Amino acid sequence: MKEMKLFLGPQHPGMHGNASVHIYVDGDIIKKSFLLPGMLHRGFEKGMERHSWVNNISLIPRVCVVEPDTNEMAFAMAVEMLAKLEVPERAHWIRMIILELARLSIHLMAYGGLGSPTGLYTMMYHAHTDRNTILNIFEKITGHRVYHQYIVPGGVRKDLPVGIEKDIHSFLDDLESRYEEYRDLGINNPTIQARINDTIPLPAEVVWELGVTGIGMRSAVNKPYDLRKVKPYARYDQVEFDVPVAPYSDAYARVDCKLQEVVQSIGIIRQCLAKMPEGDVRVPISRGQAMRWTVPKGHVYACVESSRGEFGYFMVSDGGTNPYRVGVRGASYPQGLLGIEKYLPGTRLDDAALWVDTMGVCSPEIDR
Amino acid sequence: MTNSMSNTEFVTNLVESKFKVLSTEVLDKYQVSFEVKKEDVHSLLSLLKTSGWIQLSYLSAVDWPNDNEFELVYIVFNWDKAVHIQIRCRLDRETASMNSILPIFPGCKYYEREAHEFFGIKFPGNPDHEKQLILEEWDDIPPLRKDFDPRAYSDRKFSKMEYKNDFVNKNGEVSKQDARTKRYDDIDKLRTGGKK
Repeated sequence: MKEMKLFLGPQHPGMHGNASVHIYVDGDIIKKSFLLPGMLHRGFEKGMERHSWVNNISLIPRVCVVEPDTNEMAFAMAVEMLAKLEVPERAHWIRMIILELARLSIHLMAYGGLGSPTGLYTMMYHAHTDRNTILNIFEKITGHRVYHQYIVPGGVRKDLPVGIEKDIHSFLDDLESRYEEYRDLGINNPTIQARINDTIPLPAEVVWELGVTGIGMRSAVNKPYDLRKVKPYARYDQVEFDVPVAPYSDAYARVDCKLQEVVQSIGIIRQCLAKMPEGDVRVPISRGQAMRWTVPKGHVYACVESSRGEFGYFMVSDGGTNPYRVGVRGASYPQGLLGIEKYLPGTRLDDAALWVDTMGVCSPEIDR
Repeated sequence: MTNSMSNTEFVTNLVESKFKVLSTEVLDKYQVSFEVKKEDVHSLLSLLKTSGWIQLSYLSAVDWPNDNEFELVYIVFNWDKAVHIQIRCRLDRETASMNSILPIFPGCKYYEREAHEFFGIKFPGNPDHEKQLILEEWDDIPPLRKDFDPRAYSDRKFSKMEYKNDFVNKNGEVSKQDARTKRYDDIDKLRTGGKK
């Protein structure tokens, strides 16, 4: 049969954001595929060099659209490493609440997103309703819904509003009560199972070859390789949680791990609310003008566990008012570019969207 | 990982016993950085890979035009020992070229392509490193070099729109454009402390 070229995206229900996968198919078997990034390149790395350390706080959440808080955290951690800032105790716990709420929101969104390549849109509406509740909580805490600019070098921007614990608890109880419903709707559903069981498996040796991290790796190598456990930042060493793993990574196992992480995140937020001490939430970064704040020389790399894997900022300072160089390690860079090129050939055309969804390929962080 | 402090010492001993390291810095208990010569990078990365640093986390470059050099950065990670290692080396800026690490870390393929696109560093050994990746039909010097000025580029590349004032200010009223110019001047003053 004749080989044919098809485009998956940029406008496709299975594609997130503005990138397209070019696919050469024979029948419906993929022969060759590659990602075409660049449609969302906004020059962040150059832009950061041209803004002061404080100005950059409003720029970095835009790097990954759906998960801005991990960007803020990685940026703040890198600047704190360079400037040797000690973050107040309470700020660590607030940061963890924000990060875990963000993880809940993106896991729900990704789980709902599974609805589009599998054709079950009900899941998506349920998930987006819950995400909306999380965004309402964010709005109360930070004043913004999507880009919060809340985690800043030296702590968090301001303290939690009075009574927000009640909102968070009621949301968590509500989500927990409907957790089984979520599972029944999605991965316990026989039609979905038939679609995602044994679809695009990812062997452990391929994981190391591609450099995949996050759920994709943990579900393949069966070890709790989570940066929150391995290399704890904030106060993750003082809360108890499990890292869901699986011995065999297919689309089902990856979605299953995502849903188990939802339960763990709920537990972490509850522990944070219980253990959080009183006190300051921010150390002043400069004695005078924040715009003229300088950071000592150095090369650092700071990383956090995002919902898709290791998200890192490499940062160089020459002692000036602006960063000298900022490099962003997008969490989905390996599976998005090399994974699609090396690993999709041999699978079927309709599974390409499942790879993009279950591995969490996020085009804004590939382009930057 | 309970004894991470000894992990950084383990790495430092391992590397310093076998290679001539220009500078070592222990950033915290989870991160060490080494500056080595360009020739040592491949053997150092192979050694680290056989010692458990099997994940390439990041690869990029930094431009230092005053020294007329590029600095290449490789960051590798070991999940069992929980130590990130930065390996940095300097390249000559005029003839920037570095043999690819594709045989050691296959995951470097797209990082090297990106470094070529944004800095103009050549990576012989990586078959696709000169293909365009993100910037479509780029027609200037690589954009992350320090001597590339985005504002001059956009002034040259895109036509400027002419704005006309089709209304006359009343006496004593400040025009919007003057107010904007003044605001930008104020911001510049704030940033530089009054110095230009």
